[in-house]
Amino acid sequence: MSAAPMLEIIDVTAGFGAVTVLHGVSMVVPAGSIAGVFGLNGAGKSVTMKTIGGVVPVRSGRVLLDGEDVTTLSPEQRVARGMGHVPQGRQVFPGLSVEDNLRLGAYTLRRRRRARYAASLERTYSQFPVLRERRHQLAGTMSGGQQASLSVARALINEPRLILVDEPSAGLSPVAQLELRAVLEVVRQTGVTMVLVEQNVAFGLSLVDTAHLLQTGRVVHSAPVASLDNDTLATHLGIGRVLAGATGSALLARKRGTS
Amino acid sequence: MGQVLLLGLIQAGIYALFAVGIVFVYRATRVLTFAGGEIGTASLYVAALVSTRAGLPWGVGALAAVTSAVLLGAAFEFLLVRRAVDADPVVLSILTVGLALTLLSVETLAFGSSPQGLAPPFRGGVELAGIVLSPTMIASLVVAAALGLGLQSALRRTDFGLGILAAAEDPAAVRLVGVPLARIRLVVWSASAGPAAVAALLVEPTVGFVTPGYASTLYLGGLVAAVLGGLTSLSGAVIGAVVLGLTESVAQRLFGDAGIPNLNYVVDLMLLLLALVGRNALPGLVAWIYPPPPAAPTSTPVAEEIPA
Repeated sequence: MSAAPMLEIIDVTAGFGAVTVLHGVSMVVPAGSIAGVFGLNGAGKSVTMKTIGGVVPVRSGRVLLDGEDVTTLSPEQRVARGMGHVPQGRQVFPGLSVEDNLRLGAYTLRRRRRARYAASLERTYSQFPVLRERRHQLAGTMSGGQQASLSVARALINEPRLILVDEPSAGLSPVAQLELRAVLEVVRQTGVTMVLVEQNVAFGLSLVDTAHLLQTGRVVHSAPVASLDNDTLATHLGIGRVLAGATGSALLARKRGTS
Repeated sequence: MGQVLLLGLIQAGIYALFAVGIVFVYRATRVLTFAGGEIGTASLYVAALVSTRAGLPWGVGALAAVTSAVLLGAAFEFLLVRRAVDADPVVLSILTVGLALTLLSVETLAFGSSPQGLAPPFRGGVELAGIVLSPTMIASLVVAAALGLGLQSALRRTDFGLGILAAAEDPAAVRLVGVPLARIRLVVWSASAGPAAVAALLVEPTVGFVTPGYASTLYLGGLVAAVLGGLTSLSGAVIGAVVLGLTESVAQRLFGDAGIPNLNYVVDLMLLLLALVGRNALPGLVAWIYPPPPAAPTSTPVAEEIPA
């Protein structure tokens, strides 16, 4: 076990063209933990994710993956070094079969160690039985919840060290959100380090260990979920009372377990 | 009758060669390319330089032609397509028109408009139904089918090929699974120029000479064949070419003496119209003859199932 955190972002500034979106964002994600990034629309949640993934270039600051500086690497190179993505909108390849989607997910694994793929595919199918049933089906013809499973499985099959999950619940029906929760629980059980961006704060908080609250491109609050209170959330996210209610009770149960 | 059939198949071989290249580019990039004909012609000039002027064997000239076409495709990607990465496929389509026009000008400037000759790879031929079939005529359809099958299996069976198909659907997502997008684009545009050169090389002995833009009308037939075949199917492209070649040949026999200008264009256009109308009208026609069963009531999630 290396001593370095799985992901470290140090004073990152990033943006598009003349617009700077992130103004010195720093974040530490220890190995094996699940970090949540929350914020209002335009706070820079997705840009943070894209900066970690290398899709949006960093203007200043550094991104370290398990102690290795990946700041100047392309998205593809970062994937080869152990980053996995569950992109916004799931972005499965609609015209390809489920199994071809998974094969592409394992692209860098198959290049590194081709022999490992069969076992990795088998493991993925046992984690997500619905994908085995539908392995010859075109991904685009599946339901939103099933596509979410595929998107997560496509990232996991490559045996990533860090998985970036961007707005997974967006555009999903309430029933599909229940499926998604089960899928993300599978990810949690694998022990892989995860960064989760969620606009549904209650949903997100119930899954993560640490919350990073973002406001206009700055991290304004970082704390373990167990130590969060409604006032902090109301101050930084402009929302009230997420910690009560139905989803909150699942969270409270976890808080009791951890404290 | 046999003669009509044979003439149609010879023409089909030419169209099929171009159509396979067009479909490959379309599947890989969603771009309809208009440059294949001129890339092929330009590569023929290279072959003529090497074989006719320098006196080297046909095979060396052919190799030089294919190599120069691939390099041309790579340069096109590197210098232009790369700068228009986020552009609409239509914009890239127009870029290919620009490439075709540029090549046309370069050919005219460098070689003038008088025809250049290129000795055919094989002498002789087989006589069938009063037509002398040259080996390249026979090879055209075979090579087109083989190219189609080869490209098809490369796309389906290799990880890189699958990456090409996925990149055509969602270039952003492909990078996030670790597929090197820039390399994919470079390989696709380079590789797609190869079939254009092969097509031009096999067509040249049938036409008998090279002039700037000589492949353009034939390439148009390739476009029509590709569309008839559905634009995404490599085997469809070959079938579309056969349909087009035979129809043109039959039309030529029936109406060839009627003095219709550009009869082939008329046939092309009518086939395209038929294909487009047919594609849209057929499902409706089928539904009219066989009405579908009434749709089962769809279940919508009720409020009780929704978590707070």
